[in-house]
Amino acid sequence: MRAVKISFFHMLGFVREDMMLLAAGILPFLIGVVIRLGIPYIEKLLTNAIGTNAVLQPYYSLFDIFYAAITPVMFCFIAAMVMLEEHDDHIDRYLFVTELGRSGYFVSRIVIPAAASFVVTMAVLPIFCISKLSVFEMFSMALGGTLQAIIISMLVVTLSSNKLEGMALTKISSLLMLGAVVPYVMPKTYGYLLAFMPSFWTGAQVTEKQPFFLPVAAMVSGVWILVLKRKLEVKIR
Amino acid sequence: MIQVKDLTFSYTGKPFIQNMNFNVEKGEIFGFLGPSGAGKSTLQKILLGMLPGYEGSATVGGAECKKHNSDFYQSIGVDFEYSTMYEKLSARENLGFFSSLYKRKVRNIDDLLASVGLENDADKRVSDYSKGMKSRLNFIKALIHDPELLFLDEPTSGLDPTNSRLMKDMVLEEKKRGKTILLTTHNMQDATELCDRVAFIVGGQIYALDTPHNLIMSKGAAKITYSWIDGSEQTATCELDAVSGDEKLRQLIAENRLQSIHSSEPTLNDIFIEITGRTLV
Repeated sequence: MRAVKISFFHMLGFVREDMMLLAAGILPFLIGVVIRLGIPYIEKLLTNAIGTNAVLQPYYSLFDIFYAAITPVMFCFIAAMVMLEEHDDHIDRYLFVTELGRSGYFVSRIVIPAAASFVVTMAVLPIFCISKLSVFEMFSMALGGTLQAIIISMLVVTLSSNKLEGMALTKISSLLMLGAVVPYVMPKTYGYLLAFMPSFWTGAQVTEKQPFFLPVAAMVSGVWILVLKRKLEVKIR
Repeated sequence: MIQVKDLTFSYTGKPFIQNMNFNVEKGEIFGFLGPSGAGKSTLQKILLGMLPGYEGSATVGGAECKKHNSDFYQSIGVDFEYSTMYEKLSARENLGFFSSLYKRKVRNIDDLLASVGLENDADKRVSDYSKGMKSRLNFIKALIHDPELLFLDEPTSGLDPTNSRLMKDMVLEEKKRGKTILLTTHNMQDATELCDRVAFIVGGQIYALDTPHNLIMSKGAAKITYSWIDGSEQTATCELDAVSGDEKLRQLIAENRLQSIHSSEPTLNDIFIEITGRTLV
């Protein structure tokens, strides 16, 4: 555990020296401010202009779902970029043969950043959310977002061979977050076609007020993580 | 220190390492020699516990490689062929970080840097280092926690003769300090100079295992090549232990007509080719 802690803090020091990664770490807070202040303001402008009671307001919880995912995705993106750089420089393989070991490395680069991002999301969501959320809803959004972030970071590390590819792949794999839109806009029957996307279940849970969808989201994420873990092991052996 | 028994490993179902057996004693420098793709790196990964899916047994310091705990790496130092440093950090920062991962007492970073002539570049970013400097830094990184067992993968690759000599002297110095060293190389001169014993590996199998001297002596006798002028320059060769029976040579000596005479022993490379039918590069 000592080596895991050192490795995690070393990564934070590494991020501090990289402006792009540092900016990615600050971005969730800026996005939070924009959502908290910007969306209600835009809603006011739209309702005044169109003359209706609500335009964006029925989708406020969707903005919150996205926000709850963006924070962990950004944090895990940072860790994924560090992992890619370490892979490029063959450092990961060296770390595997130190006391840190292979599992310690992944704990310090995936598990701890994800856990930290969950805690941060739970802390910032009450500040920046724009819909009325219960603590359970916040918990499920933060958990869904964190699991999604783990999947995206593993996809990036598994499928890309350098940081440039990693950035491009992050954009593509972030489309996984769009699953949350489906329960808001599509009929239920067709919506289940996208049930393989964990974010779909988070969206469904909020729209249908169905707590049972949280373990389903966790199970779907678990399958993604297991498959990606196997592929990652082949890549780095 | 290392025991390998009936070791078999496969990446794809087809055996890649086949029925390997060997032991490495404490304090020994043991060389794996073979061409690219022979299985040297795979064997090294198995011994480092990175490929647990093998059959048979491979133990390092008494611990089965596929069932090791985190303390396994406390006594192992690895110098990979390629640089494994954070390019954006200085040499001192790199060594500081890697040494912090170990629980045991670590060696003095400044002393190690000085031992490979990098003391004046300690605070330079590794990205500004030459290939030779990176190799030297990589090597001392493997020594930082003073491990009992060292895995060295092509330690002199890319080094100029001076730095190659420096590196080889350091390897021998570590041996004197009681370290066990596993050297993976296709440089026969390094192997002859450094190794107590070598194993020839081709196609995932050990073809021969002995001291370099024994391998050389068992397979080929020293030869004499001589030349003389007979219209144009002529040459002939005979075995060293059959010189007295070579009539031509005796005649040339008696007539003082020898232009040149050389003795030559087969090299480890010649023996490797003879035993395995393969070249090393």
